[in-house]
Amino acid sequence: MEGLEKELRALVQKACDLDDARMATVTDDDPLIGPESPLGLDSLDALEIVTAVQRQYGVRIDNQNTSIRVLQSLRILADFIRQEKAAQ
Amino acid sequence: MQIPFRHVQGAHCETATIAALLQHQGLQVNEPQVFGVGSGYFFAYLPFIKVTDKKFPLVTFRAQPGAILKNVGRRLGVKWHDVTFKDPAKAMDALDRSLDAGIPTAVQTGVYWLPYLPGAFRFHFNAHNVIVYGREGDEYLLSDPVLAEPVRCSRADLQRARYARGDMAPNGRLYYPAVVPRQTDLRGPVRAGLKDACFNMLKIPFPLIGVRGIRRLAKVVQGWPRRLGPEMAALNVGHLVLLLEEIGTGGAGFRFMYGAFLGEAAGILGIDGLSDASRRLTAVGDTWREFALLASRTCKGRKVVERPYDRLAELLRECADREQAIFRDVQALLRRGAA
Repeated sequence: MEGLEKELRALVQKACDLDDARMATVTDDDPLIGPESPLGLDSLDALEIVTAVQRQYGVRIDNQNTSIRVLQSLRILADFIRQEKAAQ
Repeated sequence: MQIPFRHVQGAHCETATIAALLQHQGLQVNEPQVFGVGSGYFFAYLPFIKVTDKKFPLVTFRAQPGAILKNVGRRLGVKWHDVTFKDPAKAMDALDRSLDAGIPTAVQTGVYWLPYLPGAFRFHFNAHNVIVYGREGDEYLLSDPVLAEPVRCSRADLQRARYARGDMAPNGRLYYPAVVPRQTDLRGPVRAGLKDACFNMLKIPFPLIGVRGIRRLAKVVQGWPRRLGPEMAALNVGHLVLLLEEIGTGGAGFRFMYGAFLGEAAGILGIDGLSDASRRLTAVGDTWREFALLASRTCKGRKVVERPYDRLAELLRECADREQAIFRDVQALLRRGAA
């Protein structure tokens, strides 16, 4: 899954209805959710991302604790999806 | 001083904490088993109990805090040391004493006051369970099931979190298993847990509990825009999402966890049909999540379907119908399995 981080960037932008300028403020290692995130997304946005990931990649983020862990950054989310896909 | 303790990230703080404490004492039960044996699965819509500044009705997707601990103790033969303290100094002394005795100890805390949690997840919820397994100088070593790794917390911060005020105030509560059986046959406890879930979801003669409660909520949600006006209806829906997906594990998360328990119960009881129930309940969890997503979009004013409140009610009724069918099948399977 080459370029998964890039795909996820597009997924987050669409799921959370963000414009290009705002999306450009976040690197692959920045937090996605919370006051520490340049995107300023909240837990309801997290739900949008979690659902979009399940729809697009068939990977279920099944509880809030996993969300906290995997939504730390685009890179960590991509690693999680790669691991889950490999385990399927 | 550090007690050798294996930190495990869990799905829900209470069940993960109980499972970790019992595993530490040598009783091999996992988190879904604790949730199932502890009769954690539940639904109630209680409009006469208001939460969040007494504005919104209480909707709960799990048994009341403490019930799982009690049921697990009763069914697995575990005796819990479970105490609260009026005096914070005494509460901290009691924690120190149990750590000195080599006992990893669970404490109830207010999430908002735990400084190691990311800002996005620090909200006012006072029934968060963490395990303390050591102390170094002024710092405590904590296994918080929310996190992937253990953390440290200063004495002052931990004391503040143990004395958070408001709903479900912890009052310095600490607990640990004082007596744990070396082995236990899970068949009886698993069967008892399943029977409880069927009763709670299907049979409680009160229209706000179980699948009837979900249907009542559907009716109420559908009427919100007319009864409350668009602004207040959206706020109510937002509150529902927070209960669903933020406080604890939420509706979908508990369905996923119970789905895992049903899968384990199939193996423990040798009833294959429970595996099918497991898959179906996991799918219901996805519908609860779809409901939460639409509710979230409605609350935020994002683009949603035509007549979103009708659709929200439809999704709730779908969840109720499917949960009813699943628990009826589980009931029938248990009867057949007992014959």
